[in-house]
Amino acid sequence: MASDVRQPRPRRCLRPALMIWLALIVADAEALEMIANAALECQSLTGNQARLFFIMRLRQCPDGSPVKVFVLPDDHELHAAFAKTVLGLFPYQLRRVWDRQVYSGTGQAPETLESEREMIERIGSTPGAIGYAGRVPDNSGIKLLEVR
Amino acid sequence: MRLPHVVAAVVLLAAGGASARDADPWWQSFQLHGFADQALVYTSENRWFGDSPDLSFDFTEIGLNASVRPLPNLLLAGQVLSRRAGDMYDGSPVLDYGLLDLTLASSAARRLGLRLGRMKNPLGLYNETRDVPFTRPGIFLPQVVYFDRVRNLVLSTDGAMLYGELYTDAGNLALTLGSGRSVIDENVEWAYLSRDFDGDVEPDNNTWLASLWYTTQAERLKLGLSGATLRIAFDPDMGSPFTLEPGTTELIYGIASFQYNAADWTLSAEYVLEPLEWRDYGPALPDQDATGEGWYLQGTYRLRRNLELMLRYEEGFGDADDRSGRRLETRTGGLLPRHAGFSKILTAGVRWDINAQWMLRAEYAYNDGTFILSGRENPDYRDQQRYWNLFSLQAAFRF
Repeated sequence: MASDVRQPRPRRCLRPALMIWLALIVADAEALEMIANAALECQSLTGNQARLFFIMRLRQCPDGSPVKVFVLPDDHELHAAFAKTVLGLFPYQLRRVWDRQVYSGTGQAPETLESEREMIERIGSTPGAIGYAGRVPDNSGIKLLEVR
Repeated sequence: MRLPHVVAAVVLLAAGGASARDADPWWQSFQLHGFADQALVYTSENRWFGDSPDLSFDFTEIGLNASVRPLPNLLLAGQVLSRRAGDMYDGSPVLDYGLLDLTLASSAARRLGLRLGRMKNPLGLYNETRDVPFTRPGIFLPQVVYFDRVRNLVLSTDGAMLYGELYTDAGNLALTLGSGRSVIDENVEWAYLSRDFDGDVEPDNNTWLASLWYTTQAERLKLGLSGATLRIAFDPDMGSPFTLEPGTTELIYGIASFQYNAADWTLSAEYVLEPLEWRDYGPALPDQDATGEGWYLQGTYRLRRNLELMLRYEEGFGDADDRSGRRLETRTGGLLPRHAGFSKILTAGVRWDINAQWMLRAEYAYNDGTFILSGRENPDYRDQQRYWNLFSLQAAFRF
């Protein structure tokens, strides 16, 4: 029954591949921003500070206010791009650091969210929250956290 | 000071440093994680994690852990582990770690803290999370450094550890110093007294631990020195017709570690040195010294983000002065064959992370020597075969 609606297979495979490729180009071209809850005391971070926050070794701003870290799944394009370009770490390194802490009782893992939209919502509504997005969203609860 | 006093003092200290601006209620910091895995093990000769010549299913690990931050600078964490490993472990759940971690000072330049309770020893690249399949480079760790036959020789400590970290532009330094009682079991007796004599082995004094790590800022390069001292005493059963006299075994376990992390590959190497002294066991086990030694070189290559290949070569010796095992054979009157004194192993493996929860692994190892075998699983040393192959498959889940 289905044989008469046969389509040339290569094209069917090619189309998603092409779209992923295009999406990658777009994601690359997009600015990557570290964002925070608007009430967070920190205004800017050094690259090392940002890294220490995301590997969960540093949990407070210089004034002592606690920070809560949100991330996207390991295989999310934005996560990989943020880890590499802003933190200078490969996603597998972050996972290794978190696993070591979680499974030896010497630390905790950041909270993983499913999408960029959820990331923006949670950061806007969680005091002390930090994370990242493709661009700074139009949300009064969120501010850009400059990484120097 | 008794333990409740220590805990009360720590909580007061932590409360004193707590910030009034603590935004989230503390219970929102609660985290629950766990893992479970099952392996299939087949060997051409010799028993390894059960009846492996007939295909063994006796390698199962299940862990469940919880952690919470009641105060910003205080972490409480614990993990229960059930581990079935052939004749070595029967799966009875044990407290793997249970600790409180107090951050005394923390900034972008340094961190200082204290841990109390039962802690995994920060030895080498893998000891702290050695029973968590996702954190291992293969189904089995390099055995000449991380012996499974005496897994908990230097696994964990009931005591205290002080840690300090420095973060600088030239890289990060981390120092840990610890002391306490080593958590050992009868596998230690099998490994260091060659059999299970009538009586018990216990730690004779406090274990001391130290580790020093240097990493470049983004952890591309990782260099470490770590070590522990341990003295175990044998307490013979009174009235047993044949057992040892109350002797002691003293050892130092020191590891030098190297790791380099690139985008697609990781290169790791470690060298372990283990000076040992046996004293006062009587004529059945005369006083003697030996220096255990082992090293491995391991490369992992990520074909794709979720597909990893591993290749490793390792060598280990019961005594660095007797790498051929000849003296071992002579000294034991042929009871222990030469090849019980060394192991040379080539391992190849593949890891597939199906998704964030599930992982599959397959591994093959070619073995020359039986140094890594458990005497508990292979009590007749003369039956141990020098050359043997090991095939294994593993499925692992976590949350």
